[in-house]
Amino acid sequence: MRSKRGWFAFPYVIWMALFVVVPIIIMAVYAFTAADPATGAAQATLGNFTGMGLYLSVFLRSFWLAVLATLVCLLIGYPVSYWMAKEGPRFQRLAMALIMLPMWMNFLLRTYSWMSILENNGLLNQLFRAAGLLDLLGVDHLQMIGTPGAVVLGMVYNYLPFMILPIYSVIVKLDGSLVEAARDLGADGVRVFRKVIFPLSLPGILSGVTMVFVPSVSTFAISNLLGGGNQMMLGDLIELQFLGGAYNPHLGAAISMVMMVIVVVCMVVMNHFGEGEEQAVML
Amino acid sequence: MKQKNRIGGRLFIGLTFLFLYLPIFLLIVFSFNAGDSSAVWKGFSLEWYSALFQNRLIMESLYTTLLVSLLATAIATAAGTFAAIGLYSLSKRRRDALLVVNDIPMMNADIVTGVSLCLFFVAFFQGWGAFAQWFNSVQGAVELPVRLTLGFGTMLLAHVAFNIPYVILNVAPKLRQMDKNLVDAAQDLGCTWMQAFWKVILPEIKPGIVSGALIAFTMSIDDFVISYFTAGSSTSTLAMRIYSMTKKRITPEVNAVSTLLFLSVLALLVLNNVREIRQERREARQEVREPSFLEKLSMKFNQPAYRWARRGLAGAMACAFLAAVVFLTGATSSQPVVNVCSWGEYIDEDLIGQFEDATGIRVNYQTAESNEALYSLLKSGGADYDVIVPSDYMISQLMEEGMLEELDYSQIPNFEKIDRRFRNLPYDPENRYTVPYSWGTLGLIYNANMVDEEPDSWGALYDDQYAGGVLLINNSRDALGAALLHLGYSVNTTDAGQIREAFGLIAGASRRGVFQGKVMDQVFQKMEGGNAAIATYYAGDYLSMLDNQADGVDLRYVIPVEGANWFVDAMCVLKDAPHYDEAMAWINFIASTEANLANMDYIWYASPNTEALEQYPAYYEELYGEELDPGLYEIMAAPAEVLERCEMYLVLPPATRALYNELWVQLGT
Repeated sequence: MRSKRGWFAFPYVIWMALFVVVPIIIMAVYAFTAADPATGAAQATLGNFTGMGLYLSVFLRSFWLAVLATLVCLLIGYPVSYWMAKEGPRFQRLAMALIMLPMWMNFLLRTYSWMSILENNGLLNQLFRAAGLLDLLGVDHLQMIGTPGAVVLGMVYNYLPFMILPIYSVIVKLDGSLVEAARDLGADGVRVFRKVIFPLSLPGILSGVTMVFVPSVSTFAISNLLGGGNQMMLGDLIELQFLGGAYNPHLGAAISMVMMVIVVVCMVVMNHFGEGEEQAVML
Repeated sequence: MKQKNRIGGRLFIGLTFLFLYLPIFLLIVFSFNAGDSSAVWKGFSLEWYSALFQNRLIMESLYTTLLVSLLATAIATAAGTFAAIGLYSLSKRRRDALLVVNDIPMMNADIVTGVSLCLFFVAFFQGWGAFAQWFNSVQGAVELPVRLTLGFGTMLLAHVAFNIPYVILNVAPKLRQMDKNLVDAAQDLGCTWMQAFWKVILPEIKPGIVSGALIAFTMSIDDFVISYFTAGSSTSTLAMRIYSMTKKRITPEVNAVSTLLFLSVLALLVLNNVREIRQERREARQEVREPSFLEKLSMKFNQPAYRWARRGLAGAMACAFLAAVVFLTGATSSQPVVNVCSWGEYIDEDLIGQFEDATGIRVNYQTAESNEALYSLLKSGGADYDVIVPSDYMISQLMEEGMLEELDYSQIPNFEKIDRRFRNLPYDPENRYTVPYSWGTLGLIYNANMVDEEPDSWGALYDDQYAGGVLLINNSRDALGAALLHLGYSVNTTDAGQIREAFGLIAGASRRGVFQGKVMDQVFQKMEGGNAAIATYYAGDYLSMLDNQADGVDLRYVIPVEGANWFVDAMCVLKDAPHYDEAMAWINFIASTEANLANMDYIWYASPNTEALEQYPAYYEELYGEELDPGLYEIMAAPAEVLERCEMYLVLPPATRALYNELWVQLGT
C-alpha cells in the first residue's frame, strides 16, 4: 500500500496550497502594503506594523480578558472533568452529551441569550429590583452589559466545553493503578493529586488552555454583543477594517498577521511545556 | 469522606450545568411570551412561532445554515478520508511536513482564517474579472460573467477548507493503528485495491470517519466568524442573520428559532442515548443481537452480486449532489431578481410584496449598518447589490471612485414628482446617478424622565452628569460632525487640528465612561426601553421610537442650538449591476407617490416626493381618524428656517477621510 497510493494526497496538497497557503501569502502582501491616499494604488510599507502602537491598549485588553476567561474556564473546567471521570459510564455519557449539546446551537445564539439577561432593564436587574437589592444599594440598575466582566462571562460561557472536553478525555484514560500505587506508598489525597493526577492531566490542560485562549483573544462577536462596543478587542479591530466603519484592509491584514504570530508563539510555548508528554488531544 | 467528596463533586457539576443551561432555558421560556419583551413575562402565547414561519429572512438563513453544514460535512468527510489515506502512503518526513500545513486552519484564530480567505477570494475575483473581460473581447461564442462576488459558493469552500483538517485528524490515528498487512493479505487473496478498501480499510477506520464527520458538522453549524467574512451580503447563515439583528432590533422570533433548534438537537441526543443504553443492556445479557435493517442492507451490499446496486447508489448520490449544486446556482437565475441594500427599519415591508406581485421581480432586500460599513462591504467584494441607498456625501465618494452607474431616467417617470429642492444637489449636480429616497435631520433624542434639564446643545453628549447613559452614534461622520458643531466648526472642515480637537472631545468622554455604547439601530431598543438617556439619531427614527416607547419613557427630539446636519438619502445603482432593468423598475416604484406615502407613514422620514409631502397630513388623518400633530410633522419634514441652521455633509478629500478612519479606530482603544 505504501507509496502506491501516495497520489491520493496530491489533490489535497493542491487544495491546501490554494486554500491555506495562498490566502496567508495574500494576507501578508496586504499587511506589507498601504493604499496611497491620493491615488489609491498600493505601495510597499512597514507603516501598518510600526503604527500599531496606537492600539496597544486593545492588545492589552484582549490579552487580559482572554487570560481571565481561560483561567476561569480552567478553574471550573478542571474540577468538573475530574469529578465527572469518577462517575459511572452512563452518567459520563450523559454529561458529555449535555456539554456538547449547546454547541449545536450556534454560539451566537448562546451569546444572545446573555444579552437579555444582562441589560440595564434586563432579567437580572428586574430580579434585583424585585428583591429590593437595587433600593438597598440606592441605584436604578447595576451596569452589567458593556463591562469587561460581561465579555469574560460570554467567553467563559461559550468556550467552557473546549476546556472540559480535552481535560476530561485525559483524566478518564488515566491509569488507576498509578493512583493506587501512590496511595500504597503512603501519599495522602492532596499529594496524589499534586504528584500523580495533575501532572498526568497536563496535556489535557494545555490543549484546553489553547482551545479557550485562541478564540477568546480573537473574538469580536462576544465583545460586540456583550461589551456594547466599549470593550474593543483585537477581533473588533480587525472586523472594523474589513466590514466595519473604517475600511483599511491593509491595517486589518497586518493585525491579523500579528494575531497569527501570537497564536503560533502560544502554541510553541504550550508544546514546550508539554514536551515529552503525549500529543495534546483535541476533542 | 469519600461519599462527601462525591456529593460535593456532583453539586459542582450540577451548578456548572445550571450555568450552561439557565440562559438557554430562559430563551425557551421567553419564546412563549406574549409581549415582545425578553425580560418581562406577559402571558403565554405562540405568536412568535407563527411569526417565525412567516419570517422569510430567518427561515432562509436557517435553510442556508443546514445546507452549508451538511454539504461541507459530506464533502470534507469524503475528501479528508481520501487525503488521509494518501498521506499515510507517503514517507513519514513528507507526511509530517504536510500535517503541519494541515494544522494551520485548526490552530489559527477563526478571524484570521476568515480574513485570509476573504482576501484570497477577492483577489481571485479581480483576476477573473480581468481574464473574463479579455476572453469576452477576443471571442463572441461564450460570454463569461465579469463580476463575481462572495456568496454561498465561497462560503461552502471556506467551510470545506476548515473542516477537512478535522476529518484528517480523526481518520489518521485509525490508519496508524491499522495493521498494514491486512490490506496486503486481502490483495494476496485476490482482492483488487478498491475491494480491499471497501472490505478492509473502511471498516477499520469507520469510527474515525464518523467522529471526523461529527466534528466537522459541529464546527460548521457553530461557525459564525468564517461565514461572516466569506459569505458576502446576499447569503446569510442563521448566526449572521442574528448578528445583524442584534445591531438593530432583535425580535422574539429569534427565541423561537433557538428553541426549535435546541429541542431538535436534544431529541436527537436523547434518541441516540436511549439506543446506546438499550444496546448496552442487550450486550450485558449476552444476547445475540438481531442486525438492524440498515446493517442487513449494508451486509447485502457487500455481496458481489450487489455490486451494481452499490454503483447505482453511488451514482444516484453523485447525481443528487450535482442536482443540488445546479439547483442552487440555477434557482437564482430563473426568476428576475433585484438586490437592494438599504438601512434598518427604512421601508414599509409591505411595499416589497406589492412590488413583487406587480412585476414578478423578486426583491432580495438587505440592510447595512452605516454608510461607512456599506462602503467597506462594497470594497471588500462582499456585496452583490444592484440598488443602494447611501447618503449624500457617500454618494459623492462612490461617484468619485467610479462605483456608480448612470440611471436611465426614461425608465423612471416618477422622478418628475421629486421636488425641485431635492434635485441637482451638490452630491450629484447634474442629477445623473440618483433618485432621492428620503431626507431629514440629525438631532438629539433624550428621555425627559432621565435628564434633570432638557438638553439643547450637543455638549450633553459629553457631559459627565449623564455618565453611562449616553449612546454615541456608531459612525465616524455623524459622531465627529456633532463634536465639530459643538466646537463651532463646520461639519465639512478639512482642518486636521479642528478634527483632532473634536475627536479629543469624544475620546475624553469615552475615557470618562460617559458613553454606554456605540450604537446604530440598537438605539431603538435602548431608547424605547428606557435603557439610555441621550442619543444622537435621525428625526424619522425618533418618531418611530415614539410609537414604541415603554411606560415611563418620555422621548423628545431637539435640533441643538449649534445647528445640525441635514441629509438626503438617495437610490443609486452600482456599476455593472447585473439586474439593471429590474433596478430601474424598483426605483421607479419606490419614487411613486403611493409608495412614498406608505413609507412616510411607516418609517417617519420625510419624502422628497412633492405630492406625498403635501398629502401626508391628510393621508394620516384618513388612516388614523385623528389629526397629525403639527409638531411631529415639523420634526419629520423640517421647515426652511430649521434647515437653514443645518449643514449638509460634503464628500471629504481622501486625506481627511483617512484621518477620520484613523481616529475612529482609535476610539475605544
